[in-house]
Amino acid sequence: MATVKNWQLKKDMKYPYEENRPNKQIAYIFDTNKCIACQTCTVACKTTWTSGKGEETMFFNNVETKPYGGYPLKWDLNTLKMMGEQSWDKVTGAYKGKTIFDDTKGENVNGWRPAERDYAFPNMGEDECSSNVNKGAFFSGIHDTWMFYLARICNHCTFPGCAAACPRKAIYKRPEDGIVLIDESRCRGYKECVKACPYKKTFFNMVTRTSEKCIGCYPLIEQGEQPRCVQTCIGKIRLQGFLSKPGEAKADNPIDQIVHIKKIALPLYPQYGTEPNVYYIPPIHVPTDFLHQMFGPGVDKAVAAYKNLKNDPDLLAAFLLFGNTPKITHHYKREGDFTVSYNEAGEVLAKVPMTEPVYVRPYDDKDHGTFRHNTP
Amino acid sequence: MKKKIFIAIMMVLSANLMNAQPITIKSEKVASVPLREINNALWTAATEYIVPIFPQNIANPMLAIPSVKNLKVKSINDGTTVGFLLEWTDSTKDIIVDADKFCDQVAIQLPMHPDTLPVFMMGNKKGRVHIIHWKGIWQNDVENGFRDVKDAYPNYWADIYPMAEKQGDGTNGKFAKDISASDYSKGQGNNFMPASYAGNPMSIFDRKEPSEECMAEGYGTLTTQTTQNATAWGVWENNTWKVIITRPIVSPDKDDAPLTAPTKIAFAIWNGHFENISGKKHYAQWTDLIIQK
Repeated sequence: MATVKNWQLKKDMKYPYEENRPNKQIAYIFDTNKCIACQTCTVACKTTWTSGKGEETMFFNNVETKPYGGYPLKWDLNTLKMMGEQSWDKVTGAYKGKTIFDDTKGENVNGWRPAERDYAFPNMGEDECSSNVNKGAFFSGIHDTWMFYLARICNHCTFPGCAAACPRKAIYKRPEDGIVLIDESRCRGYKECVKACPYKKTFFNMVTRTSEKCIGCYPLIEQGEQPRCVQTCIGKIRLQGFLSKPGEAKADNPIDQIVHIKKIALPLYPQYGTEPNVYYIPPIHVPTDFLHQMFGPGVDKAVAAYKNLKNDPDLLAAFLLFGNTPKITHHYKREGDFTVSYNEAGEVLAKVPMTEPVYVRPYDDKDHGTFRHNTP
Repeated sequence: MKKKIFIAIMMVLSANLMNAQPITIKSEKVASVPLREINNALWTAATEYIVPIFPQNIANPMLAIPSVKNLKVKSINDGTTVGFLLEWTDSTKDIIVDADKFCDQVAIQLPMHPDTLPVFMMGNKKGRVHIIHWKGIWQNDVENGFRDVKDAYPNYWADIYPMAEKQGDGTNGKFAKDISASDYSKGQGNNFMPASYAGNPMSIFDRKEPSEECMAEGYGTLTTQTTQNATAWGVWENNTWKVIITRPIVSPDKDDAPLTAPTKIAFAIWNGHFENISGKKHYAQWTDLIIQK
C-alpha cells in the first residue's frame, strides 16, 4: 500500500498504487435542490449505453430518493456500516475514521457485493418522505418532514476502488481526462470491482460475463461536449467540466469556483476515501446531521453560501452556466449583465443574462381583437 | 527489488513444500485417452496421486477460508494425447455465474522452461507458464447451451434491443426477449455487448469446449492463447467433481509447454459456493510429472 494525499479528507491515506493525478480531471456538479427526478438523464444514459442484452437492470445513471431509496439496494448503508465510526476533526476538518482501503483483510478494498435481486428495484423508496407529515402541518408553514432526489453516476474517483481491486489491472484512469474505464478486452468478470466500488457503479453483465461501468461519455468529452446525462438534464441541475488539482484552482473555471473556491459543492460520502469527482450542492431543507454523513463537514457553509447565492455575482455567474451549453466550459467571465462561457480555445460558447428578462404581455391583444387571460 | 524478494520467497516456499510432499505423477501409457468418460476403465485403472492443496494467501485478493484439502490426480497417455483426471470433494455443484453467483473451476499449470522453473503461482516475468483452465459455467454452456437472460429469468420482458428491432418485432411470435445472445452478437447489436465487441474470450455464446488455454508471466497477466488445442470435461456426482483435461503431448503451438522430457505440474481449484474467484483459490505447488512412453 502506498500513501496518497486525499484533499477531501485533509489527510494522507493508504491506497494500493502511488498517487498519480491525471493531467485533467473530469468533474461534475449536481445541484440536488433543482433535481425533480424526471429520470431524463437515466433514460438518456440507458438508451445510449446500456440497452443491450445483459444490461437489463444496469443503470450507469440513476436518480434515487433519499432517505430511503437506493440502487442497488442499500448501496450506501452497507458500506457505512462496515466502516465503523466516521468522525471529522472539528478544528482541522480532517477525517478521523477509516476508509475503504483500511481493514481490507486479504483484499485491496474493504467492500461488499450486491446480490442479483439488489439491482431489481431501481425505484425503491421513490418519493417517500422521511416521516409522515403531521395533520395540519401542510398549512402551518415549514414542517420537519423531508426527502430529496440524489442523481448518481460513476464518480471517476481520483483513487478508484474498482481499479484498486482489479487483480488484472483491467481498470484504468485516463491521464488525459481522469475518466475511469474498464478494458473490456481484458476483464474476466471476477467482480472484484463490483465488490470494491463503494458507490456500486460497476456492474456485472450476465451475458458478456464481464463488468461494465459509466464511461463518462468519453466520445463526447473528446469532442469538447458534455456527457449525455448533463446535456439532457431538463432541470439544468448539472455542469461538467474539469477540476484543477488541489492548490491550483482557477477562479475563471466554473468547477473550481464552485468546488475549490466557494466550496459550495461537496463530494458524496468523502469518507470512503476514493476522492469522488461528482460534487453535490446539498439540499438546503434536509437536517444537517443527515447531510454531514453524506457530504462531510462542509455542509453548513455550503448551505449558507447557497442561500446567499444572489449576493455573490461571481458564483451566480458560474451557476448560470448549468444547462446553457452542450459544450464543456473551460473558462467563464462575468461581463456586465451577462456571464460568458468559453471553450479551451477561448471561443465563446454561450452568453447568459445574469437576470432573466421579464416581458409583460398586455391584457388587451389589439392585433386579434381579444383579451388574453388564463383559462382554468 | 520487491519482485526479486517475492520470487525468492516463492522459490523457498516451493522447495519446502516439495520436500514435504515428494510426489511424482507418472502418466501411464494406455491405448487411448477417454476425453469425456470419467468412469472409463482406463481411468479407473490408472494410479491415483493425492496432491495437497493450500489456500492462496500470498497476494491480494487472498482466499480466507479454504474448502478443499486435496486433489486426486490420475494421468494417462496414448503417445499422442495426455490426459489428467482431477477429482476433489465439493458438496455443491456450482455451474452458474451471475452478479452474486460463482462457478467451480480447476486448472493445471505447466512450465514453458522446466529447467529454469518459474514461480508456481502463475509464473513470473520471463518465466512463462502454460495453463489449461476448466470452468463450470463453460461446462454448462457446452452441455446445456448458453445461459441467456431468458433462461435465468423465464418471465422477463424486453421491449426492444437496439439494432435488433426487426428480429424481435413479434413476427412469428418472436419478441425481443427471444433474441439469443448469439444472434444478437452477430448483428449490429454487438455494439451493445462491449466485451463481445472487444473480442473478449469470456463473451463467446456458442462455445464448443469448456476449457481455456492460457499463458501467464505472473499475477494479473493471464492471457488466452490464440490456438486452443486442449479439451476438458467435468462431471459432478456424489459430492465430487471429476474433470478430465487433455492436450497433445507434442504440440505445434509454440505457446504450449513441452511434455516429452520430465517436467512439473501445478494445480488450482476454485469453489464457487464460497465465492472463490481470481486469486481467491486453492493451489498446489509444482509436482514432478513424467509422461511415460
